[in-house]
Amino acid sequence: MVKLKINNTDYEVPDGLTILDVARGAGIKIPTLCHSDGLPHYSSCMVCMVKDNRTANFLPSCSALVQDGMDIDSSSEEVISLRIKAVELLLSEHRAECEAPCKVVCPGGYNIPLMNRLLSAKNFEDAVNLSIAQLQSTPLLCTNCAGYCENACRRKKVDIPVSIRNMQIFISQQIPQENTLQNQNILPLKKSKRFTSHIGKLDSTELQEWLKECGNDVTRFREIVDTESAANESESCMHCDCRAVDNCRLRDIADEFSVKDQGGKLVNSPIQKKININSGLIFENAKCIKCGLCVRLCEDSKEESGLCFINRGFVSIISEPITEDFNNILKSKSNEVIEICPTGALSKFK
Amino acid sequence: MHFEKLNTDKNKILTKSCNCEQTSAADITSVVDEVIQFTGREPEKVILILQEVQKRLNWLPSEALRYICKVTDITPAQISGVSTFYSQFRHLPVGKHTIKICAGTACHVKGSPLISDAFKRVLKIDNIRNVSPDDLFSIEEVACLGCCTLAPVVQIDDKTYGHVKPTQVDEIIRDFMNSGNQNISSPEPDIQEDFDAEIRIGIGSCCVAGGSREILSEIDDIRKKYNLNIRLKPVGCVGVCNQTPLMEIVTKDNLHSRYTKVSKPQVEEILLKHIRPGTLNKRIKYNINDLVDTFLSEDKLFGQINISGELREKYLNNFLNYQVHISTINSGILSPESYEEYCLSGGFEALQKCIKEADQESIIRIIAESGLRGRGGAGFPTGKKWEISLKATGETKYVVCNGDEGDPGAFMDRMLLESFPFRVIEGMLIAGYATGANEGIFYIRAEYPLAVTRVRRALKLCYNNGVLGNRIFGSAFSFNIKIFEGAGAFVCGEETALISSLEGKRGTPHLRPPYPVVKGFRDQPTLVNNVETLSLVPWIITNGADSFRSVGTEKSKGTKVFALAGKISKGGLIEVPMGITIREIVENIGDGVADGNTFKAVQIGGPSGGCIPASKADTSIDYEELIKLGAMMGSGGMVVLDNTDCMVDMAKYFLTFTHKQSCGKCTFCRIGTKQMLNIITGLSEGKATLKNIDELENLCITVKNGSLCGLGKTAPNPVLTGLKYFREEYEEHTRGICRANKCRDLIKYSVNDKCTGCTKCSQDCPVKAIPFTPYQKHEINQLICTKCDNCRIICPEKAIEIINING
Repeated sequence: MVKLKINNTDYEVPDGLTILDVARGAGIKIPTLCHSDGLPHYSSCMVCMVKDNRTANFLPSCSALVQDGMDIDSSSEEVISLRIKAVELLLSEHRAECEAPCKVVCPGGYNIPLMNRLLSAKNFEDAVNLSIAQLQSTPLLCTNCAGYCENACRRKKVDIPVSIRNMQIFISQQIPQENTLQNQNILPLKKSKRFTSHIGKLDSTELQEWLKECGNDVTRFREIVDTESAANESESCMHCDCRAVDNCRLRDIADEFSVKDQGGKLVNSPIQKKININSGLIFENAKCIKCGLCVRLCEDSKEESGLCFINRGFVSIISEPITEDFNNILKSKSNEVIEICPTGALSKFK
Repeated sequence: MHFEKLNTDKNKILTKSCNCEQTSAADITSVVDEVIQFTGREPEKVILILQEVQKRLNWLPSEALRYICKVTDITPAQISGVSTFYSQFRHLPVGKHTIKICAGTACHVKGSPLISDAFKRVLKIDNIRNVSPDDLFSIEEVACLGCCTLAPVVQIDDKTYGHVKPTQVDEIIRDFMNSGNQNISSPEPDIQEDFDAEIRIGIGSCCVAGGSREILSEIDDIRKKYNLNIRLKPVGCVGVCNQTPLMEIVTKDNLHSRYTKVSKPQVEEILLKHIRPGTLNKRIKYNINDLVDTFLSEDKLFGQINISGELREKYLNNFLNYQVHISTINSGILSPESYEEYCLSGGFEALQKCIKEADQESIIRIIAESGLRGRGGAGFPTGKKWEISLKATGETKYVVCNGDEGDPGAFMDRMLLESFPFRVIEGMLIAGYATGANEGIFYIRAEYPLAVTRVRRALKLCYNNGVLGNRIFGSAFSFNIKIFEGAGAFVCGEETALISSLEGKRGTPHLRPPYPVVKGFRDQPTLVNNVETLSLVPWIITNGADSFRSVGTEKSKGTKVFALAGKISKGGLIEVPMGITIREIVENIGDGVADGNTFKAVQIGGPSGGCIPASKADTSIDYEELIKLGAMMGSGGMVVLDNTDCMVDMAKYFLTFTHKQSCGKCTFCRIGTKQMLNIITGLSEGKATLKNIDELENLCITVKNGSLCGLGKTAPNPVLTGLKYFREEYEEHTRGICRANKCRDLIKYSVNDKCTGCTKCSQDCPVKAIPFTPYQKHEINQLICTKCDNCRIICPEKAIEIINING
């Protein structure tokens, strides 16, 4: 047994536990990003920092083993500010957007990316439902709007912006007389008050990566007159919003610490969107925080190639093995890696 | 947008383009099969397999990697992670010859960035492919070649060039192509007893780089030509490394004559002056006067220091006078390759004493009482470590000798391994015996091929003589030692990262505990000791703890080996008693700052240490004292800086190094060092503000507190000491002033009134920035000038000067 103090309370615990284990058992909340029960410790993100007052050293609680006489502090300003710094550093190379630019600027707070996705999937029923829900909170503004959404649209940098307003107008016209909401899951989103990451500067080759999100050879329609033109036009949407918009642990922690997104993002590698056509997995390297959870998850498997670290230091990235093709990895574990990824770096493509 | 160079490499890797016309698929499979034959198929062997395959193919085509995965237990993820982690491995074909440009601290302060630019320019090396158009040369910047006293150093394949100037590229390439790549083997040491004189030639890396092998074979030729009765003896490092090659002649009447910077044509003259059949003694007396004349006549290539008398230590030269030799005892006398000589000088007596007379506890007690602390940097008490190791339980215990000396500006471990391999082996054996270990591993960095060769040969001799293997000295103690060559990652000097690397993984450290001494290599107790620590052990056992304790300060006992380099008159490998002041080292041993400049600071401890200003030079060498100043002992690099060195540039240099060498595991080190580097780069370009300096300071403290291992925790030290002692210099940079005229973006080249219009600069300018105007004062077109420094070197009138960009 080991005797130690956490936040001035005495604990006596079995040997071999980590500080995080003990803290969690005692109901003390310590945030983590790179830790997952059942996987080997790695201690990369450092948002679980605590301080041992006895030695005045800061320790990552997820892998620091309890030792006799430790005097752990997990809540002082000093500790919290170090955790905040870790999050800020992670965000400084997190070249990603939580929310799509069109949605951020929309005065009505319409969920434009979702609408586009529903349309391109030809799910007109839910598209109508979304429109009903949106109009219930804010009446249709698009007819008189200056089109902030289209001005912010990333597609504008490639050719012409997506005809967002016309699509919204067209769908609102499809609402039947007795406009009751059919699908309770489709809800309008209020303008997000949450932390929002920004992507920083993109170069032209990086912009091209977004076209992977669009359908091939889409016929563009400025005027939306029927479902076919709506579906076609929505295919040209680059889906700028993050797939993990509501289940990103990095965003949660940034919210918790009220961190502001820093301008001037660091660039460690060009943005790439890698799509595994066999398993429908998409990997966006610029969102990755190099926590290595996905690597550790597939490390033991001899039969199936997983992801691995490439390079060293600031330029280290997660990638498929250099001897393999991205389409041939993670044959069975694709859902597991998506599940374990703390950010939107690994997601289901469609 | 600016991407790091590595990324372009990575992209090329990802496109899986392969240029392997030279190596066919059949070649690749047969090479891999051949390698696997002797390495084995275990995942742990991945680094060795990659090294051996690369040795044969010159690079690692992805076909080879794929085939390795197919025929071994190595997974694609492992091979990708490992082969991209270590700098040694190449994923693109390179030129036939590799030009390694040393980017160590000493080389940096002596202008290695300009050398690198010059090679790229002259050989027209393309930045993306990194190959010259004729496919002959590739350039590689290496962290440190460990020849700091010859700075700046360039190594082409195995041939090393020291004191290189940017204007010498053509000359060097010509010399290299002419010399070919022939290996000059050193003659075996003679054993004959009766001889007229003994000729000692240094064969440490620095001496070899200075051309001592050629001198050796020349002496051999001359001996045959005149039938001289001399004994030729290759010896280890003498320490006077910036004057290489060294040649010492000891005549029968024990008269020592030492020659520095000997060149091949002088050998015959020197030998015949000392030794002639028949009239030997007369000739010597006559010649001493003659030689003093030569020395005084300032023949620059031909310096000689004369000594006579019994004791070498009474030598006129201060360089050796202030030193105390324990680690380096018998330097310049012992032949590094001779087992017999080591034994004759008392070698392996300590081991014998341990095995025959002492039990494990009492050996550990002697080490503990001696006050010996780890010489790798942090200074953990060695006796305590051994005690924990003895108590640790496991199936197999290991002792690892940490020779992954990666600090730029440090070369002590290399010298010790090259010059005294037997001593380190003995230290390791004693450590093994005392802690109950039976397996030893030498972890030696790949950049030290000579050290690897010497240790390998020494191990063989030890096995042949029964000092290694089963039942050593007839006792029950058995011990085996293997060599593991590092693959180029500074972070592997950290013991947990070193063990990851031994296990065939990426060299990422993990949090301690568990300490390796309890759970290390293959999860077994593993005692990791530095080369220098082990080399001190035999002496302590032989001479007792008290003799060792009597040297040094209260908390730091014994001696410390330093690599003294930089802007110093006499650099080299020195061993000094703890407690000596920095000033004594710089002024007495190093004979002060060179070239009439003023002493500004000493950089101690490399990227983990700091710059100690001249005003604090009376601080004594002691673990705690150095930490108080914000520096640390580190592994013992000591680079002297003068008024032409910029502190911002130094900090930038070290941050560039640590940020490249960071393993990338923890957030603070991976991103924090990058952000620090960005701010300091801004400073060096005159683009930062005072607010940025405060940001930088805060960031330093955060990275120091938050990083996982020693690399990150100490990476801010060069900046923090810079801010502590030279803050005004940082602040000046925000106003666009670099007082040392070092930061390239803040300087320009200008012609002063001394110019005679000789046109030399104009002819030599690689970018034609100086119009050809004979007999008129030259002008430099600032828009074209690349600041390559050629004109300043070539100008016979010292008419080209560096001034502030706004001045």
